[in-house]
Amino acid sequence: MLYIHQAVCISPQDTFHSFDATRVHPPVGNKLVVREPSYEGIPRNLLRRMGKAVRMGTGASVPVLRLAPRPVSGFIVGTGNGGTEDSYKFLEQINEYGEEMLTPGSFSQSTSNVIASQLSQMDRNRGYNMTHVHRGLAFEMALQDAMLLSAEDEAAYYLLTGVDELSASNFALDDMEGWYPPGTIAGEGAAAFLVSGHPQDAIVGVRAVATLHSSDVEVVSGRLKNFLSTHLPLGEDITVLITGENGDARLRHYYEACEEMINSKAPLLHFKRYCGEYPTATSFALWLTYHRLSQEKNDLIQNYLIYNTYKGRQHSFILLTGISR
Amino acid sequence: MKRVFITGMGVISAIGNTVTENHSALKNGVCGITTTADPVAGSIHVPLAAVSLDNELLRKKLQVHDPAVTRTTLLALHAFREAVQDAGLTAEELNSDRTALIGGTTVGGMSQADELYRDVSQRYTDSPFLSSYDCSSVFMFLQESHRMEGIVDTINTACSSAANAIGYGTRLIRSGLAKRAIVGGADSLSKFTISGFKALHILSPEICRPFDRHRQGLNLGEGAAFLVLEGEEEIPTHKKVYAEVKGYFNSSDAFHPTSLSADGEGPHLAMQGALNAAGLNASEVDFINAHGTATENNDESESKAMIRVFGEPPPFISTKSNTGHTLGAAAAVEAVYSLLSLAHQEIYPSLHFSQGIPGLDLHPVTSYRRCPLRHVMSNSFGFGGNCVSLIFSKS
Repeated sequence: MLYIHQAVCISPQDTFHSFDATRVHPPVGNKLVVREPSYEGIPRNLLRRMGKAVRMGTGASVPVLRLAPRPVSGFIVGTGNGGTEDSYKFLEQINEYGEEMLTPGSFSQSTSNVIASQLSQMDRNRGYNMTHVHRGLAFEMALQDAMLLSAEDEAAYYLLTGVDELSASNFALDDMEGWYPPGTIAGEGAAAFLVSGHPQDAIVGVRAVATLHSSDVEVVSGRLKNFLSTHLPLGEDITVLITGENGDARLRHYYEACEEMINSKAPLLHFKRYCGEYPTATSFALWLTYHRLSQEKNDLIQNYLIYNTYKGRQHSFILLTGISR
Repeated sequence: MKRVFITGMGVISAIGNTVTENHSALKNGVCGITTTADPVAGSIHVPLAAVSLDNELLRKKLQVHDPAVTRTTLLALHAFREAVQDAGLTAEELNSDRTALIGGTTVGGMSQADELYRDVSQRYTDSPFLSSYDCSSVFMFLQESHRMEGIVDTINTACSSAANAIGYGTRLIRSGLAKRAIVGGADSLSKFTISGFKALHILSPEICRPFDRHRQGLNLGEGAAFLVLEGEEEIPTHKKVYAEVKGYFNSSDAFHPTSLSADGEGPHLAMQGALNAAGLNASEVDFINAHGTATENNDESESKAMIRVFGEPPPFISTKSNTGHTLGAAAAVEAVYSLLSLAHQEIYPSLHFSQGIPGLDLHPVTSYRRCPLRHVMSNSFGFGGNCVSLIFSKS
C-alpha cells in the first residue's frame, strides 16, 4: 500500500489553505480557472519566468516538501499537457519573428519535465526524477510509479504531483473537437502529495490503481468488477464513490455502469464541479479524499473509489482507504 | 529479484530502416547526418539526420492512411512492428492485459508544428490533427491499432525519455504488474525543436564531433526504436535472448534547466547507481555507449563523470556521430546499438573525432574492433538534469 502523509492543492476553489465544500466558486462561462496563491517560498526571479503549469506545479509541491520529516528521495510528476501556453508562445515567436529573434524561455518552459526538474533544482535534490505525460492517465501513471518505488523502499518519501493548465491553445483544440458541450466545464489545477510505503502519520492509503484503454463500456465494467474483487478486502464495501462525471452525455454511460456496480448507500461525489475537466483531474479527486479523511476522526472503515474516464477512451480506478489515527 | 531479458528489437534511424541496416551502417562507419537544406527546418540551415523514408513512403509501407497519424507515430510504428516480429510475439500476447507498452518522446505530435499554429490561430476545425499534438498520441495509436489491453504509458524526461521507458518497463515486470513490456521511444525532426535548440545556441553549424576539443554542438536527428522485455519465467528455453537488463538508475543533476554541472554530478550518480543496481564493479563494464551529444557542456561533464566512476574509462563511443541526436528516441536507438555490440562482440567506430578535450583527453574508439564484451553501459542525460544509465549484460 502507498500512504499519503501530506497534500496541498491549487485549484479553482479555495483549497490552498483550507476548503469549505459548501462554498463553491462557479465557473465563468465554461471555464474554471485556478485561484493562484501568492507562492511564498518560490524565489521571485524564478516565479517570473515560470509558465502557469510550472508555477502551479511547483507552487503546490514546495509547501508539501517543507512538511516532509526528512528529504524526499525524488519527484514524480504527472502532466497531460505540460506547458501548452509556452509551446504556443514559442510557435508564435517562430512564425512572427523568424529564427534570428528566437529566445529560449518559452521553449524551455514548454517541456513537460520542467516541473520535476525545477523542483529538483530548488530542493538541490539528486534523487529520482520522473515525468509521466500519458494524457488522461498521466497522474495515474505517476501514482503507480510512486507505488512501485514505495514497495521497493518503504522508508523513503517521494513527492507526487499532478498538474495541468488551461491555456487558450489547449482549450481551443479540445473545444474544436467538441469536448466542451453545454454543461461541461474546462478546468485546471495542481495537487501535490507526500507519499511513502509506511503508515505512520498517514491519512490515506492507496490500495490499488488500475488503468485501461477502451471505449467499450462492457470491457470497462468487467475490469472494474475484477479490480474490486482483487483489491477490496472481503466483507468491506465502498463507502464513498467519487466520479469524474462531467456533464458530457457521451460519457454518461460509463459513469452509470460504475455507479450500478457500487453499493447504492455509498454517497456519490462528482468532483469536476470543483475543478473542471483536465487530463490530471484525478489528482484533485485524490486531494479531495485526503481532505475529507483528514477532517474526520473515526474508527469506521472508509473505502473511497475514484472512477474517471478521459474522453471515453482512457479509464482509471483508484481504491483508497482511511488510515485510523 | 526477477530477471528481465530482451527478446526482440526494432530500429529506424538516419542510418537505416531496420536493425540489419543499422548494424551494417555502424560497422561501416556510415554517417547519416547531411548538410543539405531540409524544408522541416524552415529558414534555419543546420546539418540534420533524417530518416530516408518520407511520410508518403512510410504510410504506403505501413498501410496507414489515417491523416491524423503524425511522422513521429509512423516512425514509432515502423520500429514497433520490427521489434514485435523479432520477438515472435503472437497477437494474443500483444493483446494480453499483462503486456505493457511504455514509450518515451519529447516531440510527439509536435512534428506538425505548422499545423498546430494554423489550427489554434485560425481555429481550423477541419484539421485532422486536433488530438495528435501531444506526446501520448504516438503510443495511444500503437495501443489502439494493436488492441493492447495492458498498461500503456508515455514518459517525457527530455533526452533521457526512452531510457526511463526501458527502466520503467523493467520495473513493471519485476513488480509483477506486467509479464512483458514493449519499451522504447520515437521522435521526428520538427521545426519546434530545431528552433528551440537553435535558440539555446547548441546546434552545430557543421557535422557534430563528439568528445573532440573542437566540437561545436549537436545535430538533431530522428528515429524510433523498441525493445521487447520479458520476465525470465515467460521465456521458453529455446527462445532467442539478446541480453539481460541488468541495471537502471535515474538521478537528477539538480543544477540548471539546460546544462549539466561542470563536475558531472548527475551523470556520475546515474552511472554509479546503475553499477550498484547491477551488482557490478566499475572494472566489470567492458564498453560504454556514451550520451556524447557533442555540445561543449555535455561532453566535458560526461567525460569528468566517467573519469570519476571508472578512473580510466573502458572503450566508449557516441553513435550520435552517426544518427544525430534523436532526443526522446535516443536511448532506445542506442540500446539497440549496445545490444548489437553485445550480440556480435564488436565495437563500432565513433565518427568525426580527432583531438581530445584538453585536460581530460578521453579518446572514443574510432575504428571497428572485435572484442569480448559482457557488460555494456548506455548513458542518456536530458534537459533539466535528468540523468539515466542502463547496463545490459550478456545472458
